[in-house]
Amino acid sequence: MAIECLVLGAGQEVGKSCVVVTIGGKRIMFDCGMHMGHHDCQRYPDFARILSATPGATDFTSAISCVVITHFHLDHIGALPYFTEVCGYNGPVYMTYPTKALAPLMLEDYRKVMVDHRGEEEQYSYEDIQRCMKKVIPVDLKQTIQVDRDLVIRAYYAGHVLGAAMIYAKVGDAAMVYTGDYNMTPDRHLGAAQIDRLKLDLLITESTYAKTVRDSKHAREREFLKAVHKCVSGGGKVLIPAFALGRAQELCILLDDYWERMNLKIPIYFSAGLTIQANMYYKMLIGWTSQKIKDSYTVHNPFDFKHVCHFERSFINDPGPCVLFATPGMISGGFSLEVFKRWAPSEKNLVTLPGYCVAGTIGHKLMSGKPTKIDLDKDTHVDVRCQIHQLSFSPHTDSKGIMDLTEFLSPSHVILVHGEKPQMAFLKDRIESELGMPCYYPANNETVSIPTTHYLKINATEKFITSCTAAQARDGLEKANLLCGNHLSGVDGDVKADEGILLMEKSMAPKILCEDELLQLLGTERHSVQFESLLSSRVEEVQTTIVDDVVSEF
Amino acid sequence: MDMDEDLPASEPCPTFTNLASFTGPSASPSSYAGPEVEVRALASMATALYPLARAEGLRGLAAVLEKGNAGNGVAEYCYGCAAELLRDEDEDIRLVAVRLAGICVEKIAMREELSGDADQIDLIFLQLSSMARDMCAKVRIEAFNALAKMQRVSDGVLLQSLSKKMIKTDTGSATGKKISPKLVFPCAAGIFAHGIEDEFYQVRAAACKALGELAKFSNQYAQKALDLLMDMMNDDTEAVRLQTLRTLLDMATYGHLSVQEKHMHMFLGILMDANVIVRNAARKILGLVKLPKLQMFKSALDGLIAGLEKDPEDQEIYGVLFSIGKNHGSFSANIAKHLAKEISMASDGELILDKPRIKALLIVSILAPCSVDKEKELDIPAVIFSHAIPLLGTISCALGEDTQDSLLSHLFHRCGLPFWGKRLVSSDGKDSECFSVETADGTHAQIGKTAMSTNCLDEVVIMQSARLILETVQGAWAMRKSCIIGEVQSTLRTCKEEVNILAVNSSGSAYGFLSFVSDYIDAVQLIVEMWRFVQSENSYAFGSTSQDILLEKFDTSVRRMKCCYVGLHRELEVQVLELALLAILFRLSELAICSELVLDKLHWITNHLDGLCADGSYELSDFSQEVKKSFDANCIDCNPAVNICSFLEIFDLKPATNFGMVNARSAVLKVCDTDTDTENPLSCVRGLPVGVSFDVSLQNIACHDRIWLRMIAGESIQHVFLDLSCFGGDDKVKSCSTVIPFYATPMACSFVLRACLVIECPFGSICDHQEGHGGPRDCVVQLCDELDVYFVSADMSKGGG
Repeated sequence: MAIECLVLGAGQEVGKSCVVVTIGGKRIMFDCGMHMGHHDCQRYPDFARILSATPGATDFTSAISCVVITHFHLDHIGALPYFTEVCGYNGPVYMTYPTKALAPLMLEDYRKVMVDHRGEEEQYSYEDIQRCMKKVIPVDLKQTIQVDRDLVIRAYYAGHVLGAAMIYAKVGDAAMVYTGDYNMTPDRHLGAAQIDRLKLDLLITESTYAKTVRDSKHAREREFLKAVHKCVSGGGKVLIPAFALGRAQELCILLDDYWERMNLKIPIYFSAGLTIQANMYYKMLIGWTSQKIKDSYTVHNPFDFKHVCHFERSFINDPGPCVLFATPGMISGGFSLEVFKRWAPSEKNLVTLPGYCVAGTIGHKLMSGKPTKIDLDKDTHVDVRCQIHQLSFSPHTDSKGIMDLTEFLSPSHVILVHGEKPQMAFLKDRIESELGMPCYYPANNETVSIPTTHYLKINATEKFITSCTAAQARDGLEKANLLCGNHLSGVDGDVKADEGILLMEKSMAPKILCEDELLQLLGTERHSVQFESLLSSRVEEVQTTIVDDVVSEF
Repeated sequence: MDMDEDLPASEPCPTFTNLASFTGPSASPSSYAGPEVEVRALASMATALYPLARAEGLRGLAAVLEKGNAGNGVAEYCYGCAAELLRDEDEDIRLVAVRLAGICVEKIAMREELSGDADQIDLIFLQLSSMARDMCAKVRIEAFNALAKMQRVSDGVLLQSLSKKMIKTDTGSATGKKISPKLVFPCAAGIFAHGIEDEFYQVRAAACKALGELAKFSNQYAQKALDLLMDMMNDDTEAVRLQTLRTLLDMATYGHLSVQEKHMHMFLGILMDANVIVRNAARKILGLVKLPKLQMFKSALDGLIAGLEKDPEDQEIYGVLFSIGKNHGSFSANIAKHLAKEISMASDGELILDKPRIKALLIVSILAPCSVDKEKELDIPAVIFSHAIPLLGTISCALGEDTQDSLLSHLFHRCGLPFWGKRLVSSDGKDSECFSVETADGTHAQIGKTAMSTNCLDEVVIMQSARLILETVQGAWAMRKSCIIGEVQSTLRTCKEEVNILAVNSSGSAYGFLSFVSDYIDAVQLIVEMWRFVQSENSYAFGSTSQDILLEKFDTSVRRMKCCYVGLHRELEVQVLELALLAILFRLSELAICSELVLDKLHWITNHLDGLCADGSYELSDFSQEVKKSFDANCIDCNPAVNICSFLEIFDLKPATNFGMVNARSAVLKVCDTDTDTENPLSCVRGLPVGVSFDVSLQNIACHDRIWLRMIAGESIQHVFLDLSCFGGDDKVKSCSTVIPFYATPMACSFVLRACLVIECPFGSICDHQEGHGGPRDCVVQLCDELDVYFVSADMSKGGG
């Protein structure tokens, strides 16, 4: 038996994660994402390959046993409505409760941006999203789901974003884990990934930061707080452009905590309705956050931010210091751009950019060097005199974390996805040399085949067991004697070997038995063959020399 | 293997614990193989197929090891078993395995001699480190706890545990020594960097604690660890912040805290923390560290003064200022100079002494001459001292109670004013004046400082102040010849008081140790008193009875030291035995006849001393050698003339350097259920036996100790032997409630039964008492205070009711 792993997306790149794995005849699709960088047919995974790899299957529903989505980011879920509603997949789709709750928000938000702002052709409609979400079966952490008679899946906590999961799948004896995106260090609102030690044939892991080792988060947090505090105590305004989900909540917890400790009275605002909605979801989905929040929410729900005040658009012209979280991140447009235009010209103000900014956005321009003037279009310019602070918070694990997880799970094989090729090559070498596991990083549309273990249940006859235990007892006694002399270190070789005969017959369970039982079973007598060594010697030779020769033989 | 069948399915763990406790004492030296066979059986169980059996096997091994009767190599063997299962699939087993590994590590580390090569220790460290990245939080906590017990880990490995990035070993910059390739564990790197960011605050606290423990062994590590700890002060859980402070305090106490400029902002930050405990701890740390730069010294002072201005009632700040000034002689001299200028510039009335700043600066300045760097003659303007005199009350209040006199004398002395205090009058010799200024001031300041920190439950500090007290005791003993005995006695009394103050707030091992020290000082006091008798010409004037009483008291306190403490370090044990030897010498000199029994005891002690010093780690003191010589030379039947004076001349108290984990044996005796007192007596029938139900709980009593219940009513004494096997509980605390009959009820309407738990105090096999009377074979020591049980005759109580 083997595991076939077809990488439809996120092979040697980041974007449109989609891996189709075949175990023992069952076909599972992990994630169904879209690529944000492409605007043509490359945007979606090449689903047709599934059909061509499945002889005899006419549609996706028969070709694929189930689809499992790890979390709500678009590069993991973006193609799902397309796959179910346009391609016509009708089978089960699994995702965690938070993902199911938050995914429609994300999908609809993106659809609007695509259709309304860019004027692109609609790939799927709002109704499609709703119909698609109806097909979703929500799962809980560590809940074992029997998809069909052979296939079992289970979700484990992955950190990363609210509701992110790592997926364990098992058919017969073959088992594997698909990590999705995960984080091995906890942040302010989410815990670290957590999984049991499992017997695995294959681990498919993300490798976004295959080469980077990040240092302590504390220092970065401290710098961020210092910068913000300095700005507001100087009477400045702080703009934090962030996406609605995840980063904004994390930073806000951090600030809220600091405000409390330092007894600051400066208001913190959230700009958009989506963020408010997201905060509501976070408040409801407390069970999926970090231990600290779980511990404290009975007293005080940390997402009930004490220092966050009601916001209205007119506030941006008010005097006095404040902190504002505005969507979208990267200052790619919308409200965050509007605020930026107002605030950037004052050197008292601060713009904090959490995380990565895509090339072409204003965020990217601010991060690459310190511009004094930014051209929005031909006629509009913004003078940038404010301070820029860059934060490198990332919800992905670093190289150390990937190694730690791989070592902890100790799978037989590792496949890397969701990363950049040169870094993946580096990590592959490390995994192979340091952990001794074969490792692959296939490109898109490549297939990797991996052998699996097969466990055989063997019956042992009573006689065999008795003889084994007798031998062990004898062994034990000898060792006990040794021990009395305080030679404990001398007997650490604890391997006990016994001899038996493994009998495998067709249509019968395999069996292990003793030597004489075999004779009985076969109904034959014991034949003995004896060997004798022969010395050739010539009679003519003198008697004494023969004697000498024989002596020297032995 | 037979114990596998005996294993009850539900709760097998206690079975093994009991098993271990039974085999311990019952194994005579000849058949000492007991634990090894047990270990062997449990180890084979640990490799069993079923997870529950494996877990129980490991737990059993841990129980055996914790009994402490493991022979050579057992700890290593158990570690091997644990290491095998560190990667088990079941997280419960991983947890137990790490816990067992931790116990093994402790046992291995406890051994004095270096056994095994350094690589072995490093390997263990790395294996445990890799467990600190386990997915299960409990396993991580346990792994950090185990790491905290490690010792003698090589620097390179330690440093790697702080940094996630692989430290290049081939440059050899860190240690100059390469880490051998088999010791490369990729996931053991940077475990502390991970640990302090952990999701669970318990893990963070454990990691922080381990950081502090390991920092004791390497300065380089301590410095790097400090950088990590700085961030932990921003942790959002209070428990972690407090643990961080405790770690910092530990590091400061051990002198491993080298504060640099980049750390100052954090210290200044926590000086202004909203939480009063945090603020106090931060101050305490500042009082202990040595700041390398004047600028840092000044900013620390400013921070403290700001705190003082916020809350002028906070007395503790003065104590901290006092010790800061003392620790930084030249810096405080600098401050003093500026202050003196300020004082002289200020016209009358402008400089208000009440201002917290001036107060603080004065306090910092006055102790500069007593500071650590004595070589430099520090020139403090006298005006400082004269201005400090009005603050005397504040200062001495902050430092403790009885420092006022010595401080005043110090100030007067420095001002050049004559001081009429009694101390200066009483001591005309130069020596003793020096004593009163140096030791009294120094130690009192130290003790005062440490007494304050007991609230923080800080055992380290207690140990250190106990060490100081012991040194003072030894100093006083050394002075007995040159000085007036009264002086020595008063010093000893002060020491005793200090110990009692310390003991009030302590618990556990620290309490055990302090009560030992208290007994020790008692004994020394008694010796000094007896010395006075012996020295004085007209000893008969006091009568022999009072000397008898002293001797009896001395005997009792020596016996207490001998029998009522477990875990004494060998060094202390030697000292106790020497005191016992002295007691016997007193006895011999007093009786002037040589009872064979007493001589037997004396020989037993000298032999025992020989045995303790046989391996050459301690030298037999002059005193014991002399005793041995004079009694070996004299054969038993001839009567050696014991000249106690000559022995006392050479008897010396050596300062002990190691104390060990001293735990006091103690007991609590209570009458079950009812509160009996004079108002509510128990009833009995005259002349008939009466059963009293007692609640007995014993602490730190081993199974082979012989415990008796002594009951006294009027003239009659009854001893009842307590069978410890009936007691429940573990080695630390045993308890049992039992009904004990008292036979000899007097023919009275009412009487008081005085019950008390005593422990036999054996001298080898030498017996004091004749066999057959049913009581203890030997001298006994009380384990608890006497309990009064009131009885009233049944017919009386009816009549009364």
